[in-house]
Amino acid sequence: MKSLVLTAKMACIGKLNDGVFPLFAGFALKIVALVPLVFLWRGLAASGADLGGLSLAQLLSYSCLSAMLQRLLNLRTAASDWNYDGQLGDLFRQPLPIFGQIIAREAGGWLPELALFSLPMALFLPLLGVDLWPKTPWFFPSLLLSVSLGFAVDFLFVCLAIRIQHVAWAIHSIRFAIVSLLSGALIPFDLLPFSLGKVLQWLPFGSLAAAPLSLFVGSGDVAAQLAAQLLWNALLWPLAAFLFAKSRERMVSYGG
Amino acid sequence: MGAKPTLRRILGLYALYARMDLDFLLRDAGFSLLLIASDLVSTLAAVSGVFLLTWRFDGVSGLNRWEILFMLGLTTTVSGLFQLFFASNNAGYPSRRIGRGQLDHMLLQPLPLWLQFCAEGFLPFTGSQNFLAGLGLLYWAMHGLGLHPGLTWWLSLAGYLLCSLACLAGVSLLWSTLAFRWPIAFEEVSDTVVNDLCGQLSQYPLSILPLALQWPLISVIPAGLLAWFPACALLGLPPLGLPALFPLFLALALWALALFAFRKGFGYYVKSGSNRYYSGGFRN
Repeated sequence: MKSLVLTAKMACIGKLNDGVFPLFAGFALKIVALVPLVFLWRGLAASGADLGGLSLAQLLSYSCLSAMLQRLLNLRTAASDWNYDGQLGDLFRQPLPIFGQIIAREAGGWLPELALFSLPMALFLPLLGVDLWPKTPWFFPSLLLSVSLGFAVDFLFVCLAIRIQHVAWAIHSIRFAIVSLLSGALIPFDLLPFSLGKVLQWLPFGSLAAAPLSLFVGSGDVAAQLAAQLLWNALLWPLAAFLFAKSRERMVSYGG
Repeated sequence: MGAKPTLRRILGLYALYARMDLDFLLRDAGFSLLLIASDLVSTLAAVSGVFLLTWRFDGVSGLNRWEILFMLGLTTTVSGLFQLFFASNNAGYPSRRIGRGQLDHMLLQPLPLWLQFCAEGFLPFTGSQNFLAGLGLLYWAMHGLGLHPGLTWWLSLAGYLLCSLACLAGVSLLWSTLAFRWPIAFEEVSDTVVNDLCGQLSQYPLSILPLALQWPLISVIPAGLLAWFPACALLGLPPLGLPALFPLFLALALWALALFAFRKGFGYYVKSGSNRYYSGGFRN
């Protein structure tokens, strides 16, 4: 365990190797993506639109928290890239479990963002009237289950990247676009037409972002959301471990 | 740099890159179709969020659902055109070529840089899916709007698409020139500007934003010129009291600024270079 903590610490320091400027550029992009949504919600509320049972305050909390925790809710480790550029092979030379190393490196990499972006946002946004206090303490276990499921989903995508080789960027783009939409990270399921949200909330992607976010703003059914998250964790983790073990023999990396 | 290229030579280069793209497609058609499908799905998924919202609320910010769909069709078409002409070999993302020290490779070719950037990106077979999807969305929206436009309108649409494409390529080149001075920090800046900023923000009707945010988004980061401004203008509602030719003026201004910055940056580059490769082939 100590080795994994040290690995996470190295990943954390590694994020700061290029200075804080690249980090702040990424933070700025998150804010830029958040701004139109904030004004969109405000505009819809001002026009008296039916917001699917959500209040403007809930929508603002939902979108702001989604931006603050984006790395955790739409989790993507660098393992797909490492397969592409050859670094995944290096992990096999370390006396640590592969999954453990990937998780430790990813979690360590979150720390600068959580400290330099999420925490200041959590302190600043309430001054603008955004409520960032969870409506139920079940949000926290839900977030943990979401992160755990995110790793399982990520490992499944890594297996896919290994299987179809050298198209990590294509997998990344399709995954980012689909998961952003289907997970509820961008738009709360209550606002989707055609009752799409009722279907999406039971898919594994729905357990990634919509479950913790809806519990945070007090619009989700605690028991149902947690049950779905537990179920998907129980199903996808063994599947990810099995497929990853099978994929190891197919791994091809040239580096570059 | 070689002799001054003729039109025949330029078209010949496009034909050459088209042939290479076709070869890539046919070499492993299954793999290529997988790439095309994944690209199409990710593009449509990206615009689906705003589309679903506007469908649910029958439009936002004074635009109805068909007008928003028309706007989304425009942004998909413009990004599709950008992909069609500039996606291959990072031709539309010059900061990657500059930042990675790959401009040296281009200087060895017997062709002017501008022609290389123009021709190398052409992907008519594996890069036309988003353009075609955009045209499909435009057709759907026009059907929903009951539009039966005349020749002038069609010419205006073509003109706006060209201006939007020029704005996107111009702003990509302009920001890319920072990679001459700071190759590692700005290697990905053109992708950030084209996809993360312009691509993402162009999906929203900018009229939801306050004026103080609308102006930068039709100038420094011209996301609003990719879809929102042309859509409003083509539907007879030019925004902000600006002339209908504003995108053309801005495209010209962006290109003038980009070429000036490129010359300045290139002057620095020929003295300092950008040595990013280790002897083993890895980049630092």
